[in-house]
Amino acid sequence: MAILELNNVVKTYNDYSVVNGFNFSVNEGELRCLIGPNGAGKTTSIDLITGRQKLTSGTVHFDGKNITKLLERQIVGLGIGRKFQVPAVFKELTVRENFEVALSEKRGPFQNMNPFSKKRGRKHFNRIIELAGLGSRLDSIAGYLSHGETQWLEIGMVLMQKPRLLLMDEPTAGMTEQETQKTSEIFKELKGDHTLVVVEHDMSFVRSIADVISVMHQGKMLAEGSLSEIEQHPKVKEVYLGTEGIN
Amino acid sequence: MNGNLYHNRTAQWIIYIVIFALLALVPFVFDNPFTLNQYARYIIFSLTAVSVSLVWGYGGILSLGQGIAFGMGAYGMGATMQMQFQDPESDPIPSFMLTNELETLPTVWEPFWSTPIGLTLALGIPTLFFLFFGYMMFQARVAGVFVAIMTLAMLAAWYSVVYDMQPFTAGFNGISPPLPFEIFETSVDPYSSLAYWICVAALIILTLSTKFILHTKFGLIVQAMRDDPERARFLGYNVAYYQTVLFTMSGFIAAIAGILWVMITQYVSPTSMEIMLSISMVIWAAVGGRTSLLGAIIGAFLINLGQSYAGDEFRATWLIILGVVFIAVVLFLPKGLTGLFEIIIGKLSGSNNGARQSG
Ligand SMILES: Nc1ncnc2c1ncn2[C@@H]1O[C@H](COP(=O)(O)OP(=O)(O)O)[C@@H](O)[C@H]1O
Ligand SMILES: [Mg+2]
Repeated sequence: MAILELNNVVKTYNDYSVVNGFNFSVNEGELRCLIGPNGAGKTTSIDLITGRQKLTSGTVHFDGKNITKLLERQIVGLGIGRKFQVPAVFKELTVRENFEVALSEKRGPFQNMNPFSKKRGRKHFNRIIELAGLGSRLDSIAGYLSHGETQWLEIGMVLMQKPRLLLMDEPTAGMTEQETQKTSEIFKELKGDHTLVVVEHDMSFVRSIADVISVMHQGKMLAEGSLSEIEQHPKVKEVYLGTEGIN
Repeated sequence: MNGNLYHNRTAQWIIYIVIFALLALVPFVFDNPFTLNQYARYIIFSLTAVSVSLVWGYGGILSLGQGIAFGMGAYGMGATMQMQFQDPESDPIPSFMLTNELETLPTVWEPFWSTPIGLTLALGIPTLFFLFFGYMMFQARVAGVFVAIMTLAMLAAWYSVVYDMQPFTAGFNGISPPLPFEIFETSVDPYSSLAYWICVAALIILTLSTKFILHTKFGLIVQAMRDDPERARFLGYNVAYYQTVLFTMSGFIAAIAGILWVMITQYVSPTSMEIMLSISMVIWAAVGGRTSLLGAIIGAFLINLGQSYAGDEFRATWLIILGVVFIAVVLFLPKGLTGLFEIIIGKLSGSNNGARQSG
């Protein structure tokens, strides 16, 4: 059953359609890669799913529920987490504090003023830290982390929330080969327990993690299928021709 | 890894207690009433700096409108003290109203016959106003420099209201209640140790409660929102709600400062809502260190002490000196004097850069 379903989604900025009749559906437990040239509308699509931008028309359903008009925090509350394209962490807080904030079981200001409230979910907390590989960096200020570590921190923060659906916008951007390798280990670990949508440019990374790949072009779905199907797809070849190509 | 002692919470509480004890002991050192009154004023300014540190240092909300709450509190207290002097039978109307040709006491002044109601209004109205104003701004996602502009514009609007409503506020002249504030049948002489201690007590209670709240997860979350509101929002937090709560708390503190101000000066005028005063509050907090409540207190205290010792010949250049100090701090010491202290303590306790002990 589809956990996420986009129907005929359109987003227009001053008559210019950035997303133009996009249909997209992801099944529970799947790891889906969403690729496409720069400006294809991938980030915008994530913005539309998570409520950061409002749709011009079309609908978004999550777990059978229409979430098209919900607020960001309501959508998060239903279990959709996202990682931003430009890594977003709390730069002046320590890594540990970043994780603490992300572990948001209670979200109201007055609930969080209670000094006697027990810290819950420690097991999960420690597991995520281990998964993100940041155990030795807990007392570092997040602003001092390397680019790769920052990406892992943000991925870990999203995971703290135990989201049912994770939207990852270019998680390996700016990573060294080794770091990319480690990230793909993390994702393989997540596969199955979580539903993931990963926006990526790095084809070797996509190759190492993907089951099904969706290709977006000019705001529309261009092709969908397994890695080999996509590589053979004439339209995909055309789109990527002249750029670096899928390699 | 060796932690910086500066971040040790026990050490922090000890320093707070030492500084507060020193402040409380001032009346035993100076028995000159004038000096004591002067110090009480610095204490009150420190309280406004605490309100700035809370909302700006921790919440990233640069409010240039703290004078709105300060002024509202001050006028509420002014009206309460004025009505303590008036007599319902023989002399029911303040003299400035008579000179402005009012023949009856305006309805808005009626509640101030009662001291408890007067004080409640002096505190409640600014707090509710900050709640309302904050809600309007933050649910519309006004942020950054636009908050500064909006709060400043609101302050200017209130300034002209109190300035223009002469029959109700005594306009430019301001209200000077003839007698000191009286509570529990005790007259609080502005030059007494009692008055000074009331101010110190308010500073201690409010600062420690604020610090206590900031040590809960709430404090962590508002700092997270300061760093990246969007990230916090996509972790499921209602950013506007948190910001409104924080802004209201800061208004509450500034209102208490305004109330105490009139107790100590027996005078309230539109100067309490002057733009320069509200900007000064921000400068005090910035110089002392906006991310530390104690830093803000020390900043306010030192700058005002410096201003009084600079004497009359420096009056004209004082603003320039202050401006230069402010710019230097913004450029070289974003965490103010406290930041300098943090670096020094860090060096002494041998912690490595970029690491911080949380606990
Ligand atoms: N707020 C906006 N206003 C106008 N155009 C925008 C806005 N946001 C994105 N765009 C445009 O939409 C297109 C798609 O952007 P984006 O979704 O970021 O692409 P991708 O993530 O696939 O590289 C780009 O051409 C971009 O310039
Ligand atoms: Mg993008």
